[in-house]
Amino acid sequence: MSKRILLIDDENDIREVAGISLESVGGWQVSSANSGHLGIEIALAEQPDAILLDVMMPDMDGPTTFARLQDDPGTREIPVILLTAKAQGADRKRFAELGVAGVLTKPFDPMALPGQVAAILAAHDR
Amino acid sequence: MLDEREVPTAIQEIFEKSRGELDRRVGTLEEAVSALLGEGLGEDLRASAERDAHKLAGSLGMFGLPRGSELARSLEQALDQPGGPAPGEAPRLAESVLALRGQLDAQVQRPEPGSEATNPASSSPRAQDGRALLLVSPDPQLSERLSVEALRRNLRPRRAPTCAAARQLAATEAPDAAVLDVSFDDSVNNDEESLELLAELTRLEPPVPVLVLTGSEALVDRVEVARRGGRGFVARTRSADQVIDAVSEQLERSKATQAKVLAVDDDPVASAALAILLGSSGLAVTTLNDPLRFWEVLENQAPDLVVLDLDMPNVDGVDLCRAVRADVRFGQLPVVFLTANTDPDCVTQIFEAGADDYVSKPIVAPELMTRILNRLDRVRLFRDLADKDSLTGVLSRRRSAAAIEDLLAMADRFGQPVSLAQIDLDHFKRMNDELGHATGDDALRRFGELLTETFRGEDVVGRWGGEEFVVASYGMPRDDGVQRVAEMLEKFREVRFTGREGSGMRLTFSAGVAEYPRDGADLHELYRAADDALYRAKTAGRNRVLPADLEAGAETGGLDVMVVEDDETLAGVLIDSLQTRGYRTHWLDDGQEAVAALSGSNPEFSPSLILLDIDLPSLNGLAVLRRLAADDALDRSRVLMLTARAGEAEVVEALELGAFDHIAKPFSVPVLMHRIRRALKR
Repeated sequence: MSKRILLIDDENDIREVAGISLESVGGWQVSSANSGHLGIEIALAEQPDAILLDVMMPDMDGPTTFARLQDDPGTREIPVILLTAKAQGADRKRFAELGVAGVLTKPFDPMALPGQVAAILAAHDR
Repeated sequence: MLDEREVPTAIQEIFEKSRGELDRRVGTLEEAVSALLGEGLGEDLRASAERDAHKLAGSLGMFGLPRGSELARSLEQALDQPGGPAPGEAPRLAESVLALRGQLDAQVQRPEPGSEATNPASSSPRAQDGRALLLVSPDPQLSERLSVEALRRNLRPRRAPTCAAARQLAATEAPDAAVLDVSFDDSVNNDEESLELLAELTRLEPPVPVLVLTGSEALVDRVEVARRGGRGFVARTRSADQVIDAVSEQLERSKATQAKVLAVDDDPVASAALAILLGSSGLAVTTLNDPLRFWEVLENQAPDLVVLDLDMPNVDGVDLCRAVRADVRFGQLPVVFLTANTDPDCVTQIFEAGADDYVSKPIVAPELMTRILNRLDRVRLFRDLADKDSLTGVLSRRRSAAAIEDLLAMADRFGQPVSLAQIDLDHFKRMNDELGHATGDDALRRFGELLTETFRGEDVVGRWGGEEFVVASYGMPRDDGVQRVAEMLEKFREVRFTGREGSGMRLTFSAGVAEYPRDGADLHELYRAADDALYRAKTAGRNRVLPADLEAGAETGGLDVMVVEDDETLAGVLIDSLQTRGYRTHWLDDGQEAVAALSGSNPEFSPSLILLDIDLPSLNGLAVLRRLAADDALDRSRVLMLTARAGEAEVVEALELGAFDHIAKPFSVPVLMHRIRRALKR
């Protein structure tokens, strides 16, 4: 059975492109959510193998969503990759210190994204 | 799941789908930069622009536009500074936005040959997505608030602090709508110029809907604005949200009245050119490159005019035109040909096929436009004339019959009833004779107005003869139909019509109401059933509305109702309302008399319903009810008690004695009628 990944991003186009890329190129089974709140619910219910989480979202942003996922024993173990359009050094460092499995930058190359995700998860498992 | 090789195509499709949103975001940046170049960038707009730049930076690269992402990122950083970018940076930022727009425009795809594309006239995405809204106000805060709201609704705001600036903007791109801030303040002397601008905008082709934003409530100002063609007034105190709401409504309205043109040409380049030309005049154009889909598109779009190319290699336009003419639905549809060949034989052939006009190729734009617009104007005029009865403003017989057929078809599909009322004014000829035709016409006009007021927008109201009207209401059972027409009758007979010599009279009407499909399986049968009921209403004494219900005592002209009530005024109102709704009525004002008339082995009356007052002389209502119950009269008639006070014990006793229902005075006539109908249901 293919592995499950959950995409949490408020922007439709990004969810769609990342979804197609992870599904068709990476062979993932993809679920998606357009807000942190919904994402947490889906994560609890579906127990995905990884979560791709956008940093800048209205209402509840990526770091807050990540903190909630960490607080809940039901989702604590799921590796989270942050997706950020701000890839300045300082931000990147701050995000890495949160304890996420990795940080990817937007825009991403749809053909390369699944490989990047796989590399981060492989490093995280080790 | 897609094959990996299909992924780029799928992403391209997502891009196409998202481009409206991407365009809107670039639009926000354009707006921010133009504000920076002009009167300065406010905080709301700066924040929106920063957010949109951020989103563009994060997504364009994903669609194969890495340069677009870089440009957006640099704009995001510039906008991120506290207080916004320095005015000195404006030119550099303007260049970036321009380049960003170029990136997006470079991705425009040409429509594939053979495909049907609506309005490729506006295939430049700038025109396609987000209609231009001209905001004319000297108040920078106000126009900023409106801009932000407009952007949120996918409109493209164009701000002008002065009328001169507005003229300039309108000249480079005709706006789709405008908001004009007019002070009407004597101390500021720009009103005349604003009103002049208003008139100019509404004179444009197509006319620009203009909303006037003002603090003035003065009637004279409103009149002045209306005279210059303004579409509406909005108080300056309204929120930006409400103002833009009003703009959207105007835009929707102008879209609804937009004429639809179907252009058929199997050369995609030619049809795209045609679409641009026609689209620029405010027509909604559908181009069709695949003539094999002609009928399908024709039926779906129901265009107001068809443009056919005579010189299509694979299809014969003349044959197509002949086929259009042969179909009754499209017999009146104007057809204009485009042809390179204008020798007399060819032109004769075109007209013989039933074409209305032709334009020679190569196309001369103004000539084509003039011919098409003339043709459309004439069609609209004829259609209005034929559709609407000029005196009463309701639909003509032909048009309303077609509309009712549509309602019946819809009723079949969704299993709903349709009620059809046939209404005929009583003694109308006498009014014409006594008060003159002018008063007769006035009465018809008033009646038309009353019909239009009384019935819902989706009801079909038509004038079928001199003083004969029909009303069809979708989803309405017969009883409700009777009720509504009866309420209208009660209003109508209050109107007093006055003739030349000051003599006056009141008018009444009679009506019959039938229900589809219960009373008739098609319009013809339904009309006959309503007409029968109308005839019975006339013979029963006119001034009433009868249902086409053959079971409910049709032979006797309606159901019998006995009113036992000693208050003469109330009894009068009840009898009047009952007769209006087609019931046959009898009246008694005394308890003893009621018992005598309603009981015994061979009672004088055995009505379907008795309205029995609880307080009666000689024998009160409860005692009457007791005697009727003992005599088995309640098997023949149902009793509705009229109670004067909320005496609960009395009500309970009445119901225990066998009264069907009770209603406490004072009651409204519609509520009572509802109870009566319920009591009479078997």
